[in-house]
Amino acid sequence: MTDEPNVCAIRGLRSIPGAARRITPMPTILADPRLPISFTEPEGVMLKMQHLSKVYRTHMVETHALRDFSIHVRDGEFVAVTGPSGSGKTTFLNIAGLLEEFTSGEFWLDGVAVSGLNDNARSKLRNEKIGFIFQGFNLIPDLNLFDNVDVPLRYRGYNAAERRKRIEESLARVGLSSRMKHYPSELSGGQQQRVAIARALAGSPRLLMADEPTGNLDSLMARGVMELLEEINRAGTTIIMVTHDPELAARAQRNVHVMDGQVTDFDAEPKLRMQSRDADIEEAVV
Amino acid sequence: MFSYYLQLGLRSLRRNPILTALMVLGIALGIAASMTTLTVMHLMGSDPIPWKSSNLHYVQMDNWDPNSPYNPDGSPPDQVTYRDAVALMEAGKADKQVAMFKLALPVQPVNPELKPFRALARVTYADFFAMFEPPFAYGGGWNHDQDAQHARVVVLGNGINEKLFGGQNSVGKTVRLDGNDYTIVGVLGDWKLRSRYYDLTVGAFADPDDMFMPFTTAIDLKQRSSGNNSCWTSSADGWDAYLQSDCVWIQMWVQLDSPARLAEYQSFLDAYVNEQKKSGRFQRPLNNRLPDVNTWMADQKVVSGDVKVQTGLGFAFLAVCLVNTIGLLLAKFTRKAGEIGLRRALGASRRDIFGQFLIESGVVGLSGGMIGLLLTGFGLIAVRALYTNYKTVAQLDWVMVATTVLLAVAAAVLAGLYPTWRACQVAPAAQLKTQ
Amino acid sequence: MEIRPIISALMRSKVAMILIGLQVALTLAIVCNSLFIISQRFERMQRPSGMNETDTFYFGSSGFGRGYDARATQKADLQLLRQLPGVAAVTPAWSVPLSGGGWDSGISLQPRQKTATADSAIYIVDDAAVNTFGTHLIAGRDFKPEEVVDTAFGGSLHPAVVIVTKALADKLFPAGDAVGKQIYMDQDPPTSTIIGVVDRLQHMRAESSSIEYSTLVPAYMPYDNFTRYLVRTEPGRRDEVMKSVEQKLAESNRNRIVSKMRTLEQTRRDAYADDRAMMIILGTVIVALLTITALGIVGMASFWVAQRTKQIGTRRALGATRFDILRYFLTENFVITTLGLLVGGALTYVLSLWLLTHTDGAKLLPWYYVPIGFACLWLLGQIAVLGPATRASRVPPAVATRSV
Ligand SMILES: Nc1ncnc2c1ncn2[C@@H]1O[C@H](COP(=O)(O)OP(=O)(O)OP(=O)(O)O)[C@@H](O)[C@H]1O
Ligand SMILES: [Mg+2]
Repeated sequence: MTDEPNVCAIRGLRSIPGAARRITPMPTILADPRLPISFTEPEGVMLKMQHLSKVYRTHMVETHALRDFSIHVRDGEFVAVTGPSGSGKTTFLNIAGLLEEFTSGEFWLDGVAVSGLNDNARSKLRNEKIGFIFQGFNLIPDLNLFDNVDVPLRYRGYNAAERRKRIEESLARVGLSSRMKHYPSELSGGQQQRVAIARALAGSPRLLMADEPTGNLDSLMARGVMELLEEINRAGTTIIMVTHDPELAARAQRNVHVMDGQVTDFDAEPKLRMQSRDADIEEAVV
Repeated sequence: MFSYYLQLGLRSLRRNPILTALMVLGIALGIAASMTTLTVMHLMGSDPIPWKSSNLHYVQMDNWDPNSPYNPDGSPPDQVTYRDAVALMEAGKADKQVAMFKLALPVQPVNPELKPFRALARVTYADFFAMFEPPFAYGGGWNHDQDAQHARVVVLGNGINEKLFGGQNSVGKTVRLDGNDYTIVGVLGDWKLRSRYYDLTVGAFADPDDMFMPFTTAIDLKQRSSGNNSCWTSSADGWDAYLQSDCVWIQMWVQLDSPARLAEYQSFLDAYVNEQKKSGRFQRPLNNRLPDVNTWMADQKVVSGDVKVQTGLGFAFLAVCLVNTIGLLLAKFTRKAGEIGLRRALGASRRDIFGQFLIESGVVGLSGGMIGLLLTGFGLIAVRALYTNYKTVAQLDWVMVATTVLLAVAAAVLAGLYPTWRACQVAPAAQLKTQ
Repeated sequence: MEIRPIISALMRSKVAMILIGLQVALTLAIVCNSLFIISQRFERMQRPSGMNETDTFYFGSSGFGRGYDARATQKADLQLLRQLPGVAAVTPAWSVPLSGGGWDSGISLQPRQKTATADSAIYIVDDAAVNTFGTHLIAGRDFKPEEVVDTAFGGSLHPAVVIVTKALADKLFPAGDAVGKQIYMDQDPPTSTIIGVVDRLQHMRAESSSIEYSTLVPAYMPYDNFTRYLVRTEPGRRDEVMKSVEQKLAESNRNRIVSKMRTLEQTRRDAYADDRAMMIILGTVIVALLTITALGIVGMASFWVAQRTKQIGTRRALGATRFDILRYFLTENFVITTLGLLVGGALTYVLSLWLLTHTDGAKLLPWYYVPIGFACLWLLGQIAVLGPATRASRVPPAVATRSV
């Protein structure tokens, strides 16, 4: 069951760091036939929330982290979520990434109504459709890079050869093939985040969630990571990224502003994609 | 600073009460198991008369069956014959010497309210008291002349003196034993013998001797030994034939005050046996032995195999408990790496961190040791209940209390040292760099 | 499933792994060897004495004073005891099985044989012995009253007839035709004839290597002024008869001391007191050890779970189900326990060899204790880690984005 040919779309794009870049036409991502809904339309909706609310209850205090929250993200979009601290960005991302449950409202992910799913089904959906990139990288310190990237693939149930192929590809994709046996503590922050991206990509997710992926990085590294995300997006993966950095947000196709648990402002149509061709930056993050 | 560390340590221990209890209990159980067994083994095997144990020698001669040895390992019999005992006593070549055997005999109290009862007498020679040094409450031992005269005298132990005379000075009074009257010449005080080391042939921890009487007198009265009696060849019937037989039933001790005297006595003994060989006795190869008190106790396995095994297991158990505690402390301290890094960043030196965590482990160890000491007490009570013979050896003496406390502290520090050392290795910036 | 990454993760915290593994190893070694010792002792204690132990007691009588006639007293006592209500059978007996002291002797088939064929316990009794001991005659016949002769205690023993136990009969005459054969109780003639064989009667010393070899010798033969009597009562009346015997004998002769009555049950308890003590001590050690080890695993696993909360959250965020997390910790424990057990297997035999050199009659541990020990400790480890692992599986995935 793991030998199916839905290979990563970004394969081979940038296998040799620093080498001259060649852009080849991208094959479209194939849907995983094991998912409840395998049908995807080119202009389909990846994520749709309507009148969603999330209430945290602690010690008699209720925090309305999200209220009447409505949003839809189309397949293939790159959405940046901005907003002041405490406004509910992470909460949105957690719910969107099926890490948390919501209190009321409706939520479809890639055509699946999420509210009826149990923990196991959510885990499976998360594993197969969603990739995560965290602000704190969240690499497992006891595992080397290879094993770190291996983690989601293990839960996916791929065989050893498939896993190895994917791990090598995705580490190559972020330019860290040579460091496969290193441990996270032996890498710089930017490198660690790239491992986290490789891990998120290894399972060919349709949706990539990033919560302040550059929050712990300096601006140079941040731009490198951003480049990488843009490239992944170009290859067809939908990306939702929370960021505080207006400059990075500006580079996304669409901006969603969250305030007090509500979407206050979002671009209805995607902006023109901006592309950095600064080779020096590419070098810097390698 | 110490009180600050102590405060930190106690607070940290209080925060995880179950874990703390687990660590303390682990050490306590380990200490209790090892110390209970060690105490029994130590007291069983300890030198009963350290100031002269190397001068007291048990006499062994091999008069056994030429066709098969007394013991499978070839060692000579553990007792001697009457003939040889008397010959050696009469030769008197040692600085002091006694032959002895155990005798159970009826005591007929004058007090009509007391029923007759059986008591254990040690039948021996005058030198017994000088050699084994029992304390006297009243009077003293008998003398060599009384040995020679086959005098009807007796030395009472304090237990039987209590029973017969209410603990009064009974010297000069008489006591009737098996129909004969004996004059009391001495009464022992409280003789604290852990093991009856001077006669190991009937169990080192069996009942103590109630009284002492001259060997010559008992032989006169044809009193048979209540101890072991081993023969390899049959003798003719009758008391005199029995005395002349090759049956062994007498224990023989000599005191030799210097190595030179020991060597002299050894050659005397060899000469004696060689002389006897001429008359057809002692057909086995010359195999005379003069083990001193401690050697003899080891030969006779006063410390039983079971006790050794228990002690071994007790310490293995302690090892498990220590490993357990080390693991838990290590895990606990590892979790505190963040706090340590922060403290280091805020200016704590490595020594400060070491102090803080060593106190925490020290508190665990000490309380474990204290509870362990208490449990050792209970353990010894349990041993006394399980082994009724071990009353005298299942007891804490101050050496053992000190050892227990020392062991507990050592165990705790050992258990705490490595985790503490690891805690100190946390670099100030370690926590700030990565997760 | 994911053993390799678990091992490589464990290799990053070797010390913790070594400590748990070492604990498991030591526990295995101690538990296996202790269990083996316990089972050996248990087997020893289970050996039947061949007697009716529930209804039997014995006591000694020692006279004093010059006028005391041991032989006459013995006969009078026997007559008196046999008349008492509730008494089923009485015999004078020098000793009884398991009581510790008595007479044992080599038995030969030839005169002046260099080494005796067998060592046997000698029970000097009268014609009621087989009945009183409660053992069963399986060949030949019982003693006749006229075969019990007055004998002076001396250096040698030459009974005309004897009864032996089956074990001894088979040892002396493997063909199974012991009845009617001549044996030498002494090195010199006259010989004794085996007239009967009883199924079983143990030696008086429980630790004897000739535990099943016993010989009944018919003789009235007090040891100086001392006689021991063995009494079997009607079923269930032992305690009552003991009281009346004590009373009757106290009245009968004032020139003697009747020693404390002892039941065979007491004698068995005393004979195996050390074995029982050893069993209890080792049993306690095993229980304590398993408890400590289990609690140690719980403690360590709890710490690891707490320490790895964020990692668990991340795994959950990356798609691990609750069961995956549970399985991770169970597998991790299995790996550590297995490594410990492999070392422990070797350690077990090191300990067994040490025991072999430090105790008499110890045997090498049979191999099957090791796999049984493995199974027990695997189970113990899995049960111990179940709690912390369940807690780990409940870590919410949001921890990945929220935790500090
Ligand atoms: N587990 C929780 N329990 C209670 N309240 C919570 C919990 N998690 C978040 N909140 C609250 O919900 C609100 C939204 O939090 P959220 O983490 O989504 O903010 P954010 O937009 O990500 O902020 P930041 O930019 O600082 O990360 C905040 O008021 C926060 O205090
Ligand atoms: Mg946030």
